[in-house]
Amino acid sequence: MSSARQNQILLSAQLSVRYAGKQPVLRDVQLEIQRGEVLGLVGQSGSGKSTLAMAILGLLDKKRAQTEGTIRFQDSELLQLSEHELRALRGRAVALVLQSPLSALNPALKIRTQLREAWRAHAAGGTTECANAIRASLQSVSLPADDEFLRKYPSQMSVGQAQRVLIAMAVMHRPALLIADEATSALDVITQSEILALFRDLNRSTGMAILYISHDLASVAGICDRIAILHRGEIVECGTTEQIFAHPQHEYTQRLMAALPRILPANPQLQAKTEAAAAR
Amino acid sequence: MNSWQKLACAVLALVLGASLAANLLAPGGYAKQYREATNAPPSHAHWLGTDDVGRDRFARVLYGTRISLLLAPAAALLSTLMAALIGGLAGYLGGTWARMAMAVTDLFLSLPWLFLLITARALMPLNVSPQVSALVTFMLLGFLGWTAAARVLCTTAGSLRSSDFVRQARAAGLPGQRLFWVHVMPNLRPVLYAQFWISIPVFILSEANLGILGLGVAEPMPSWGSLLKELEGLVSVGEEPWKFVPLILLVVVVTSFQLLLSRQEGVAA
Repeated sequence: MSSARQNQILLSAQLSVRYAGKQPVLRDVQLEIQRGEVLGLVGQSGSGKSTLAMAILGLLDKKRAQTEGTIRFQDSELLQLSEHELRALRGRAVALVLQSPLSALNPALKIRTQLREAWRAHAAGGTTECANAIRASLQSVSLPADDEFLRKYPSQMSVGQAQRVLIAMAVMHRPALLIADEATSALDVITQSEILALFRDLNRSTGMAILYISHDLASVAGICDRIAILHRGEIVECGTTEQIFAHPQHEYTQRLMAALPRILPANPQLQAKTEAAAAR
Repeated sequence: MNSWQKLACAVLALVLGASLAANLLAPGGYAKQYREATNAPPSHAHWLGTDDVGRDRFARVLYGTRISLLLAPAAALLSTLMAALIGGLAGYLGGTWARMAMAVTDLFLSLPWLFLLITARALMPLNVSPQVSALVTFMLLGFLGWTAAARVLCTTAGSLRSSDFVRQARAAGLPGQRLFWVHVMPNLRPVLYAQFWISIPVFILSEANLGILGLGVAEPMPSWGSLLKELEGLVSVGEEPWKFVPLILLVVVVTSFQLLLSRQEGVAA
């Protein structure tokens, strides 16, 4: 491997995870994420996607989950780090956005408190610095940063706004890697497309790599540079988005592509009108 | 808040207000003896008569109410804080910590409560001052009354530990103690409020029970328990009905707390 390519690698994992007395959740999964790329991780429910995300963040229950292998991130071997060292990386170098924004935000805390806590986890400074950081992160996700908004509780916001707040929390410290674990699955189609566009903008403007975990191929196609297919705890195929969609190699990937919904295949005239309307 | 709960609030405010104004309403104080009028019936000078050593019963009811209504919430606060710390922290830490805390809780729950209170109270020196006896009685109630609430809080904190918002906060790099104080504790608040309100009438009644047994607040300081002790020697209900005022007041106050409690439970749910 050339040193230039080596320098481009942000995260390199070779990993197996097993819970005591059960079948392995991840079997020798090999994954590489380049700096600044958006990698899609696709698989059906229970295939081990979230386990992989939690393993990268060091959030698997160490007493129950047995993790073997390596996770190389920047210059650190994550599986060798202490909890204290991992905590220093979480939120600062690797951030997470979960699926359901309304359950991922604390219902008992105002938005200002939640953002302030996220900032204080990795920054020391006064009220002014904190307020400036909160304002900047909210503006980066196109949310208002006024007092009225910051006084709101999660239940007083729309799902889309809540998801943007979560993303603002995640990007506050400009992490090198953002893990979006089914981050658009709970959203309606319009909000989903807005959040995908936001991820794309953040990726382009900050150079932050994104591990975009989803079972929704359409959203993955809209945002990812490369896609890895996870099936029963194994990466069965990994390639560029074009390769995966145009020439799927593995049988499971082919089944996934075949299962993609086709818009109005039985009515070409209506399809043509729909496409024309979309083009307008 | 329905009309019954508004009435309960008004009753409690009235009773508490009157007890706090005891110095004005009964300037003679609770200990002054009117030797010339022992066991006197109600009169203009003594609205509820006097007891067997000539002390004004109205003054004693007011001062006794003040002690119960101020110290029972203090004991409830102590037991609620202990439950929050022991149960909440054990539930949040989980694993061995939770098992150890629940073992201690089970031990406390299996102790004969009243017997323990009587023993602890009996161990105190006989010449202890009335103020100290009042404080110790209610603090003992608070110290022994945290267990059931701790069990509920342990379970609630355990489920919060695996919630999405705690996982998200951990992923943001928050340290353990911030997760507990900032993210877990505010979500235990409704349970803590309910527990606080449940404990107040329980402690009022417990003190009354101890007082009847002569193990509550020491003489000459009055409390509802020591006032109810007067009813021991009563032969007929109709003979001296004014002696029932402390009992009626106790029932009214405890009922008012129970009515308010149903609202707190609604908030907690």
